[in-house]
Amino acid sequence: MRALGWRLAGLAVVAALIALWGEIAALKLVSPVFLPTPARVWTALEHGFSQSDLGAKLVGTVSHMLGGWAAASIAGVALGALIGSSKAAREYIAPTLEFLRPLPASAVIPVAIALFGLTPQMALGVIAFGSIWPVLLAATRGFAAIEPRLVEVERVLGLTCWQGVVKISLPSAAPDILAGLRLGLTVSLILAVVCEMIAGLDGLGQWVLLAARAYKSADIFAGVALLGAIGVVANAGLSVVEARALRWRAPSAR
Amino acid sequence: MKAAKALVFPVVLIILAEIGARAGGPSDSVAPPSEIFATFLDALRDGSLLAATRDTLISAFAGLLVGAGLGLAVGLALGSIRTLDRLLELALELLRPVPSVAVIPIALVALGFGYSLEIAIVAVACFWPLLILSRAAVRGVEPRLIEVARALRLSPLQETLKIVAPAALPRIFVAFRLAAGVSLVVAVTVEIAVNPQGLGYEAMTAGQALRPALMLAYVAWIGVVGYALNVLLILAQHRLFGQAGRVEAAR
Amino acid sequence: MNGSEPALIEFREVDLAFGDHLVLGKLSFAVRRGEVVCMVGSSGSGKTTALRVASGLIRPTRGEVTFAGAPVRGPRRDVAIVFQDYSKALLPWRRAAGNVALALEAMGAPRAERRDRIAALLKRVGLAAFADKYPSQMSGGMQQRLQIARCLAQEPAALMMDEPFGALDEMTRQTLQDEMLDIARGTGATIFFVTHDLEEAIYLGDRVIGLKPHPGRVGVELAVDLPRPRNQVTTRESPEFLRLRHKLYDFIYASESGART
Repeated sequence: MRALGWRLAGLAVVAALIALWGEIAALKLVSPVFLPTPARVWTALEHGFSQSDLGAKLVGTVSHMLGGWAAASIAGVALGALIGSSKAAREYIAPTLEFLRPLPASAVIPVAIALFGLTPQMALGVIAFGSIWPVLLAATRGFAAIEPRLVEVERVLGLTCWQGVVKISLPSAAPDILAGLRLGLTVSLILAVVCEMIAGLDGLGQWVLLAARAYKSADIFAGVALLGAIGVVANAGLSVVEARALRWRAPSAR
Repeated sequence: MKAAKALVFPVVLIILAEIGARAGGPSDSVAPPSEIFATFLDALRDGSLLAATRDTLISAFAGLLVGAGLGLAVGLALGSIRTLDRLLELALELLRPVPSVAVIPIALVALGFGYSLEIAIVAVACFWPLLILSRAAVRGVEPRLIEVARALRLSPLQETLKIVAPAALPRIFVAFRLAAGVSLVVAVTVEIAVNPQGLGYEAMTAGQALRPALMLAYVAWIGVVGYALNVLLILAQHRLFGQAGRVEAAR
Repeated sequence: MNGSEPALIEFREVDLAFGDHLVLGKLSFAVRRGEVVCMVGSSGSGKTTALRVASGLIRPTRGEVTFAGAPVRGPRRDVAIVFQDYSKALLPWRRAAGNVALALEAMGAPRAERRDRIAALLKRVGLAAFADKYPSQMSGGMQQRLQIARCLAQEPAALMMDEPFGALDEMTRQTLQDEMLDIARGTGATIFFVTHDLEEAIYLGDRVIGLKPHPGRVGVELAVDLPRPRNQVTTRESPEFLRLRHKLYDFIYASESGART
């Protein structure tokens, strides 16, 4: 009950902040070129969906993001399984991976453009390349850290290689992999937006940039709000999956 | 021995890249590592590389200070004052998922191209990790220590300065280190997307001018700068916090 | 249970070295089919290592280890190992039934049979009511029982038990000791039981082998002629039990002070 009370109070705070925003905009304390009123943003959203192609742009960004992320996740888990399970591979390859970790994924964009031009394939490649790193590193760590006792149980029971991976290695690495997937999703959204801005691909990145060039602040805010919404939904979705997959965890171990 | 093994893979890759790029003949999109290195030295000598590096680092650093500073302040407040934390929770949850790059158009309209645009976006990006982690650092102070502070009847200010701050400091530094990495990544990203200055912009321009060696030199240099920054900060962390810091440093 | 039974597990002059350090030296002993043999020894005598060699997890440096006459080349499904750190040997992401199922899946048991077999095994170890609980929701004793259930699912010819009750409290330990004897009698499995608890070794075993340390080799072999079924109170007070206990304590004490010189 108390939790509900706080939630409602939080909602009231959000409403108050929006009202404050409306006041500042209405009083033109900040130029309407930069700061539209909440009402105008709402109108822009409605207008965008009904009379313009905001819906298509939304779908575009989501599909870019998910497409690249899905490809990267599968490849990342598979590679991570291979590298993480082999001591030799870890010694030779893992240091290079660690070195490449702090690098900006966006830095590969000029290279991708040089190779593939300003195409959707380029975008997909960039997004996948960028989001594979968190997944790959997390999967490598997860597969390397399998409880040795379980490996012995695997040997005693005579599990085949495939059985071992599916029944023991994957579930064991799942917490790490899920954390990596979450990070990868964040990266893929960012790269999707950047690629859309640069390559003029059909998506919210393009929408907001065009709106900026035309000084339509309400449209910009509408697009930004939708991008935030994508982030919220994507994260919430993953949280649900995570909760289900990891419900065996003892309450302390989280 | 371990270091030698670690180098085998990258060296092999570089050799393969050298052979592969040379075999394909002159190209608009790839260049052999030897040429990349030579071009890198040229850019270094004529000052363009250093100028671009300076531009990127200025924006990144300034954005880091602003964003991380604000994030730290808000995070500390939220960590210490439960009521404030609970009230603002929903509002922050709604704002956080907005990717920093999405704010580019808004900042572009308000500030135009240049340093301020980049600093603004970097600040937005660095704000969140500091807020979340410094809040957690304050909340995570051993409750036993708070009890000690109460027992000694320390004033809120004394409690903060003598107990909370030193206890939370290692984790706050780790947050700062993470944000520093973020600041560089975001700065380069803004340059690649829209801003006509800095390392990202130089890389894009070189690519568009069909000068692959220069482009790849900049890309590689961006990597080196990112790596060097990370190493420096880890060294600083160990120097400042020693064992205490190491315990907290979960990468 | 008598000298004419063939040996199921046999060690012949087994050496085991980790690098320069010789853990087991010319270790020779046999475990006959259907026997409960307990191995004791002071710390560092290599008894756990001997169990791991017998299970096929480690290859001996020299000498021969055979199982049912054939040389041991690696772990086998019909030699089940009950580990001391039970929580690490269970799958935390599967419920109790799922953990037992793992053994059946490995054996390729027909799906239709699995449910009933799992239910029967869980009932045998007293976990019938906990079939849908995760290991993290179970006490230490229950987790160890679950591990035993999974091991029994392998229908083992031999059970290797590595200080299985060492991490449990006294009450639970005694309960599990009796349950284990029950299972041993019921399945007729051969049991090789390593423990540092001398009384436990005598209570459970048909024979007790004591290892001398540095390197580990047989120091004493005692036949335990106590009547079965054993009883926690009466057996432990019987004169024969006390005599064996005295002998073992003397042996351990001697081997420990010998090691100190």
